[in-house]
Amino acid sequence: MKAGPLATLTALLSLGFLLVPIVIVIIMSFSSASSLQFPPPGLSLRWYDSFFADPRWVEALLTSAILALVSSAIALVLGSLAAYAITRGTFRGRGWLEANFVAPMILPAIVIAVALYLFLARIGLLGSAAGLVLAHVILAVPFVVLIVGVGIRGLDPRIEQIAFTLGASRPQMLWRVLLPNLVPSLASAYILAFISSFDEVIVTLFVAGTWQTVPKRMFNELMLEVNPTITAIATIMIGLSLAAIAGVAAIAGRRGMRSMMGDGGS
Amino acid sequence: MSAAAPAAGMAPVRAAPRRRLGAGAYAMPLLAVMLVAFNLPILAMLAQSFLSPEPTVAHWAELVQTPMYLRVLGNTFWMAAITAGVCGLLGYPLAFWIRTLSGRAQLVALTLVLMPFWISVLVRTYAWIVVLGNAGMVNRALLGLGLVEAPVPFLYNTLGVTIGTTNVLLPFLVLPLLAAMMKLDERLFQAAATLGASQRAIFWRVFFPLTLPAFAAGILLVFILTLGFYVTPAILGGGRVPMIGNMLDVLINLMPRWELAAAISTLLLVATLGLFALYRVIGARGA
Repeated sequence: MKAGPLATLTALLSLGFLLVPIVIVIIMSFSSASSLQFPPPGLSLRWYDSFFADPRWVEALLTSAILALVSSAIALVLGSLAAYAITRGTFRGRGWLEANFVAPMILPAIVIAVALYLFLARIGLLGSAAGLVLAHVILAVPFVVLIVGVGIRGLDPRIEQIAFTLGASRPQMLWRVLLPNLVPSLASAYILAFISSFDEVIVTLFVAGTWQTVPKRMFNELMLEVNPTITAIATIMIGLSLAAIAGVAAIAGRRGMRSMMGDGGS
Repeated sequence: MSAAAPAAGMAPVRAAPRRRLGAGAYAMPLLAVMLVAFNLPILAMLAQSFLSPEPTVAHWAELVQTPMYLRVLGNTFWMAAITAGVCGLLGYPLAFWIRTLSGRAQLVALTLVLMPFWISVLVRTYAWIVVLGNAGMVNRALLGLGLVEAPVPFLYNTLGVTIGTTNVLLPFLVLPLLAAMMKLDERLFQAAATLGASQRAIFWRVFFPLTLPAFAAGILLVFILTLGFYVTPAILGGGRVPMIGNMLDVLINLMPRWELAAAISTLLLVATLGLFALYRVIGARGA
């Protein structure tokens, strides 16, 4: 089947519609003008300077980075162990358990935000660092359970059985056999969990109290005024996301090559 | 068989003796965290919608009797329908076109569709203020060229929210639809052509019906995802296009009416899960 002129035109417009705003924001972040003039009269880094010169933004960046590092690390450990249990376990209800772990990805974030707000308010953890980390762990877990689950399914279970036969305990097998084979999956899962936490805004708006993350600050500033500094922050966030998917794609590409050459799992 | 099995009194043949819980035990730490920080809060929210503090249906009654709440609910479903429709109109030709591309071009197009998928919704929503806002790029150009007297109100209305939601959700429709289109065998259409069908007839009578389940599933997925939107209507609606998410924000953070918020949030949860079950059924038919 070939695409007619009308279909081709609509397709190109749709593609433009998806990409143009992102491209424009990146260009505008390097503008020397303080208004949203296009094309920019000149190029400068003044909006990046004004971002890094503002201690409130730098603090928000630091909070976001630490929050994402900590919560995705917790999600990685708990989620990977759970992925192993679901993939290799023989107990009943594995499907339900996995569905429950993946649910935070499917439910509207606003529902989770309201539920966590009411819950954390009742137990007195609203606005606490612990409550914020817990919320981000819940939201990052689905990425880990799904990606590490796929990784384990791609490994030959006989390798694990051989380790048991040779006398390894289950923790020894996990640490010395499964873990080294899962490094690419674990890295991908960590990267995506990190980005999901770094970009998260809705649940954070509800439960963070006085903590400021970059997306939360950005959301609040947006509601007040159009400030070109935000184009610089937006571009930094775009750059981080693109670096992350490039990283994941590189990992997936290497594994693809390996499996094509008959090395590693099926 | 029935005589032989119990005779020896041995355990049924199984692999090596298992420890009591086996691998399943490793799900316990996450299960504990999820039960406390996810399942319990969801259930508590459900319970809270029926308490005040003694059991009551007063919050639910208030919800269905207050025109303002019903208007926001109706507006949310309306926005979801518009978004699903526009995504369908833009997404189908896009997926179709990508299918016709060859090798490298296809990979590039696919990457370009996939890329925004991973970029923050907040950033992509903000981008529309830069492009279409009153002081944005397009309006500055129009004013500068003398084509309009006052900025054109692209944003802070239904149009603005539709632009934002469609932009975020288009990849959710295109990617699964494209996957379904790629599975179709090109020889099927060659056969139809050999039998004398025109290109138009081949598309409408062979190609389109085969992609309809995936297309319907994609449209439903966009509809479901729009229902829970909060950031986009908050930024691009300018308070004029309230959706359920924004109403929840007001009920929690401003009013505050926690029990009512719990009831509305529960309603959104049930609607999402119900429609998601329907989505799985339609998706399974397409596969």
